[in-house]
Amino acid sequence: MTFKAFIFGLLGTFGIPWLLVVVIPYSTMRTPVPVQYEEGSQLSGAFIPSREGRITEGSKIYGQEGCYQCHTQIIRPTYAGNDVHRGEWAGLRKGPDVKVDTRRETIADDFQQEKVAHIGQSRVGPDLSNFGRRLAHYLKANKSELTSEEWILMHLYHPSDLPGYKDGAKPYDSACPSKGGLFNEIEVFGAGSGTLPVNIKAGRGVKPTDRARALASYLLSLKKDTLGNPLPEALNYNTEAPVSDK
Amino acid sequence: MAETTSTAESSDVALRSSIDRSLRHPVMFFFSSGAVWLALAIVLGLVASAKKHSPEFLSYFSWLDAGKVDAAHMSAMIYGWGFQAAFGMIIWLMARLSRKECTAAGTILWAGHVWNAVVFYGVIRIMMGEGSGIAWMEFPGEVWPVLLLCYAAITIWSLIQFQVRDAGHVFVSQWYLLAGLLWFPWIALTAWMFVFVFDGGHPLMVTGIAAWFKATLFFLFFLPTALASAYYLAPKVTGRPVYSYNIALFGFWSLAFFGPWAGMQRLMGAPIPQFLPYAGAASMVLILIPAIAVGYNVIKTVMVSREVVAESPSLRFTVSGILAFIAFGVLSMLLHTVPSMKMTQFSYSGYGLDILGIYGVFSLCAFGAIYFIVPRITRREWLSRRFITWHFYFSLYGVLAIVTCAIIGGMSQGQGIEDLSQPFSTMAGRASQFGWGVTLAWGCLLFANLSFCLHLLLMWARLGRRSSHPTLLKGHSVGNPHGPEGEIDNYTSASV
Amino acid sequence: MDPTRDNPLKRFTAFWIAILLVFCFGVGLIILRPLTHANSETAYDMRRDDKLAVKADIDRAQEGALNKAALQKAFDEQKKSFTTNTVVAGSMAVPGAAPVPVPVDTPADTPAE
Repeated sequence: MTFKAFIFGLLGTFGIPWLLVVVIPYSTMRTPVPVQYEEGSQLSGAFIPSREGRITEGSKIYGQEGCYQCHTQIIRPTYAGNDVHRGEWAGLRKGPDVKVDTRRETIADDFQQEKVAHIGQSRVGPDLSNFGRRLAHYLKANKSELTSEEWILMHLYHPSDLPGYKDGAKPYDSACPSKGGLFNEIEVFGAGSGTLPVNIKAGRGVKPTDRARALASYLLSLKKDTLGNPLPEALNYNTEAPVSDK
Repeated sequence: MAETTSTAESSDVALRSSIDRSLRHPVMFFFSSGAVWLALAIVLGLVASAKKHSPEFLSYFSWLDAGKVDAAHMSAMIYGWGFQAAFGMIIWLMARLSRKECTAAGTILWAGHVWNAVVFYGVIRIMMGEGSGIAWMEFPGEVWPVLLLCYAAITIWSLIQFQVRDAGHVFVSQWYLLAGLLWFPWIALTAWMFVFVFDGGHPLMVTGIAAWFKATLFFLFFLPTALASAYYLAPKVTGRPVYSYNIALFGFWSLAFFGPWAGMQRLMGAPIPQFLPYAGAASMVLILIPAIAVGYNVIKTVMVSREVVAESPSLRFTVSGILAFIAFGVLSMLLHTVPSMKMTQFSYSGYGLDILGIYGVFSLCAFGAIYFIVPRITRREWLSRRFITWHFYFSLYGVLAIVTCAIIGGMSQGQGIEDLSQPFSTMAGRASQFGWGVTLAWGCLLFANLSFCLHLLLMWARLGRRSSHPTLLKGHSVGNPHGPEGEIDNYTSASV
Repeated sequence: MDPTRDNPLKRFTAFWIAILLVFCFGVGLIILRPLTHANSETAYDMRRDDKLAVKADIDRAQEGALNKAALQKAFDEQKKSFTTNTVVAGSMAVPGAAPVPVPVDTPADTPAE
């Protein structure tokens, strides 16, 4: 084999996948063709996903804190996995307090405003695609006094401080590490210091930093079900979902 | 033994020893600093693994948060240990195979120091919470151009050496080294530009390209370097030629053909063009072909001299690395069929396969190369057979344990998550049990590498044995298994 | 060692060939950039046209409803007495008007703090 033959062989065997797997898909996915709502739908024009919260900043902090190592953010279609049917990962199931099944698979627009999609490495912890929706529903169903933001900040500070979090029938020991670095301990003189409802010492409270609040805002914005973004027919792959659940 | 060499042979010995002298500083630097980074990476890996099942472990230190420590562990392992071990191997192997002295040792050493400083800076930034949040590319974006420039300053000389080599047979190792040297900047520049430089890319494609980089970094840089070392050491130490040059070329081109498609299978099920993850999964399955080709070739080469494999540390580690490559190929095939991926895509199994690749295949072959190269450039022999033996067995136990726990644990996890009658805590509980196994295995590896690091640093400090007899793992053999070429004679001048 | 294969010229050319090979795909990306970053219509662009049409309608309507003659007449009226306006109790001071005597605080009015 001559050097020339070797180089051409290398350029060819590398260049073709480079084009087909990296360059061309990247350029075609940069601006996908907008999907229109169907005729007769209440919404008109092109489908634009909307998310509330500090998405871009929060997503960056989510990556920096390494949350993607243990959590995923993808509801796969059923040929690739059972995520749609797992608990309330894909949305809310029909039930006594939920009139419409809101579950759906992930679509490409679900990662708008983020620089990188945090699909995730492994599921040491649950999938977070619909974390915001799940949390709000859980707090409402259990008539909790905490707001969503307080709950998630307390979870980030010290997961085991949260009273009675249950998954299924038994209490669940969260393996989530406490992110103490996102919080400051300050002196408090009364109510209104912006501290968490956690007791540490008399006269001291735990105050979230702005980084913690951005992360909390991002996590609460994770509502990738049909309520969060009403989908046009063309994107709605998952119409009927079975009623039974666990 | 020196009296029976002819003039031609002794000028050959003189050339080899002058090559070794010319690059002793950079190569020894890369191996020593790489070994220290490996020890650090293993400590971080231990902490990271412990935090997955015992989140309270060391939670007082916020810079050791799980997530950040995981990222720091992988970055230290790959950029601190992996690249530096590879640099040492590449520089020495290409110089010896092309029979050219190294003329830029100073530049390489400087670039190596800058590399170390930059990796250290990057790891500190990650622990401070200022990484990039992208797996295997966790350094902040501004670090990459410096790394790429250092890489060019370190490796361009090897490319030149290849081009000015004497006319004649080109060794298989040289093709692998040349390919690895070119493949890395191709994938790194591409990944860096798409992920950090270009804006407006779809977030899913940014993740996809990072996943492609993760896979091709192993297949197209670390693996070729390890295989180049194996193809050099197997014939060298046994004194026999490579079993088949044609099979070797077939193994090389099949890797070149299948390797660059890998990576996107981590996004199976994501809303991206479907052929991307399927191409990635197919490529991971077909990696079995080069694995079997290379494995067959190398094993056939050394099989006739089994006692040499048992005696020589370099060959023991190298053959273990090649066997690990065959195991990698088989496991990769089993884990990347669509039914398996449904279960194991987001489980421990992916981690187990990654560690099998980086530690089992690359690092074991790198250890083999280090045990061969260091005596030649320091002109001293390894001090302790016991250290080498501990290093070997504990590495083997550790890697086998991590891979077994991770892969079986991953399948158990996956079965738990696919079974809709079980709540999520079942899967989490299973993961935790296997997590303990992985943590204990990291403890094994830590012990193995502390003995390796200590041993290597003693050699770096010129405290090795002055002797003509290499340190072997089994008794004192009459015939030197390293062959007359490998004989180090410190008491005869090289001009004989 | 064969001197014709290894000389400074050969090393020099080998260096530049190596540089070219190492950076070729990066250069390729830069060359391909106009193709990969070509503009195309997004959902926001589709909505933009509708929104701009609505805005144009509003601008036109507001323009039509603005009674410029009456406005000018009111400005002219104000101009006549602008500089001589004085402050009266309950009105805001006009900048540039003549200063008005300010009531002085007696000690009894000042709160004790």
